[in-house]
Amino acid sequence: MASFPTYGPEEIDALNGVADAVLGVFKHHGYTRHEPAVLQPAHLFVDRSGEEIRRRTYELTDPTGHELCLRPDLTIPTCKFQVDSGAAFPARLCYHGLAFRHQPGAGQFWQAGAELLGLADRAAGDAEMMGLAAEAVRAGGVKDFSMLVGDLGLFNTLVDALEVPAQWRGRLKRHVWRTGYFEKLLARMVSGEVNETERTVDALAGLKLMELKPAIEELIDKEGDAPLGGRTRDEIVERLMVQACDDSAPRLDPEVADLITKFLKVSGNGEAALEEIRVLTKPVAAKMVKPLAAMAERLHALKGMDIPLDKVRFVAHFGRNLEYYTGFVFEFWTRAGEVAGGGRYDTLLESFGAPRGTTAIGCAIRTERLLAARTA
Amino acid sequence: MSEMITLAVPSKGRLKEQFDAFLGKSGIALKQTAGARGYRATVEGHPGIDVMLLSSSEIAASLAGGDVHLGVTGEDLIREAVPELEDRVTLLKGLGFGFADVVVAVPKSWIDVSTMADLDDICAAYAARHKKRLRIATKYAQLTRSFFAHAGISDYRIVPSAGATEGAPTAGTAEAIVDITTTGSTLKANGLKILDDGVILKSQAQLAMSHRADWNDERRAIAAAFLKPLGVEI
Repeated sequence: MASFPTYGPEEIDALNGVADAVLGVFKHHGYTRHEPAVLQPAHLFVDRSGEEIRRRTYELTDPTGHELCLRPDLTIPTCKFQVDSGAAFPARLCYHGLAFRHQPGAGQFWQAGAELLGLADRAAGDAEMMGLAAEAVRAGGVKDFSMLVGDLGLFNTLVDALEVPAQWRGRLKRHVWRTGYFEKLLARMVSGEVNETERTVDALAGLKLMELKPAIEELIDKEGDAPLGGRTRDEIVERLMVQACDDSAPRLDPEVADLITKFLKVSGNGEAALEEIRVLTKPVAAKMVKPLAAMAERLHALKGMDIPLDKVRFVAHFGRNLEYYTGFVFEFWTRAGEVAGGGRYDTLLESFGAPRGTTAIGCAIRTERLLAARTA
Repeated sequence: MSEMITLAVPSKGRLKEQFDAFLGKSGIALKQTAGARGYRATVEGHPGIDVMLLSSSEIAASLAGGDVHLGVTGEDLIREAVPELEDRVTLLKGLGFGFADVVVAVPKSWIDVSTMADLDDICAAYAARHKKRLRIATKYAQLTRSFFAHAGISDYRIVPSAGATEGAPTAGTAEAIVDITTTGSTLKANGLKILDDGVILKSQAQLAMSHRADWNDERRAIAAAFLKPLGVEI
């Protein structure tokens, strides 16, 4: 069971001191303070982060039967508030409060966070958020830190550019962060063991493209009045069209698998690591230009923030495309561990009803860890 | 008063009849206690055993909490009530009845889905397209979560279901289900099919022992004497 500490007078004073310094930086850059409710509707998080979040969330049922939870993060309620309020984009919001997670150690922790929502220029947003986090960490009294950056957008672009059976692209992108599982998945794809939809595809084999759709529709109709369960017929048709256009027994080219494996192993000093990726992905260089340029631009921006690049490590497999993150992430590390982190979640606002393509990037500073890092 | 242990057995239905028959084969009979309104019984020849007649799900919860020493109920219910079975409950003996499978079932009209890997693809595509998670109706939230986690699926949400889970996709309250089935005919009648690798658990009635219950040497001896003719050593 996780622990729930009581903060004594010295601790709370010290914590407030750090929080004020961090919030001062946010305010100076135009971020306005918000304080989301501690209790939130549970579905808010489950709908966006998936069922797995429940393993780490404290849930309760109110007397009228509504499922609530102690907020496991403050980003989701803050983003929801912004969309619900109807206020204009871009918007700059910040907060400092407790988040609650069922995990080893303390089940609650303080987070000071900033959200930059709806800024169309992603490069400018990336630079602003990394700079803001660096300044906040420094204001909190920690000058000596290193940085970790990653962008799964690079991996996703690579998978789309390489000769990979179309039906497997999503699978590779989704599971890239699961070490162990991913390597096995890749191996199974190379050996052609992943052919579970064979039966359905067999019935479609040899059909011309224009015959495919009616043939699939007919197969669905054969199931009579079976429910569709919230999926549309088009979804089923589209997925089978993609599979039918692949080989009936798709396999992943071992050379492609090898390139993917090598790519994910790239890790090191920012600019050198990017160069390594450039060389490695030469066969699909044209497609990789854009995401590589975006990462190079981020590294360039860090120079202007007085963060020496020998303190910045680029790790190709680092990045979260789980939960609501969409690719680019960064972390600040000290001897006392990670003190701050942030990233992009460009689809989160849309899920609350904002116009499609409304961007979002944010960071969260672990104020307690800053305190620990100062004395480490 | 001398030491007693509690044995929880199903209060009604086929599970009760089949357990009575199972005991009968070893020459053991349960005797309902007069005046206890059918909620209590004794075991002939074993005065140290207090038999409580409970519903199947109450028995699973009682084993989990250590309110009873021994219990007879479906393995599905025990595993659902006790996520980390090993430290809390030992399954002593599969009783050879009450067979049923806990399965993942999806609409038959999903002709593009036959495995958990397909379902993984669908869950992700559904989340991207509909901006919400695909819903799985079930009364087996724990079993579902660990099975789906093992299959690498995270883009879904569980909708708790109290009964008639198989009707959820037709009713529009969920896209797919995790439920118990014996012949699969109810699923079929509701336009659902079981995924090829979607069997979460092959369940049967189990005689189980709770480690959380209040055990001592004397009580253990009482349990051992009762269990030995049933072919169980503890």
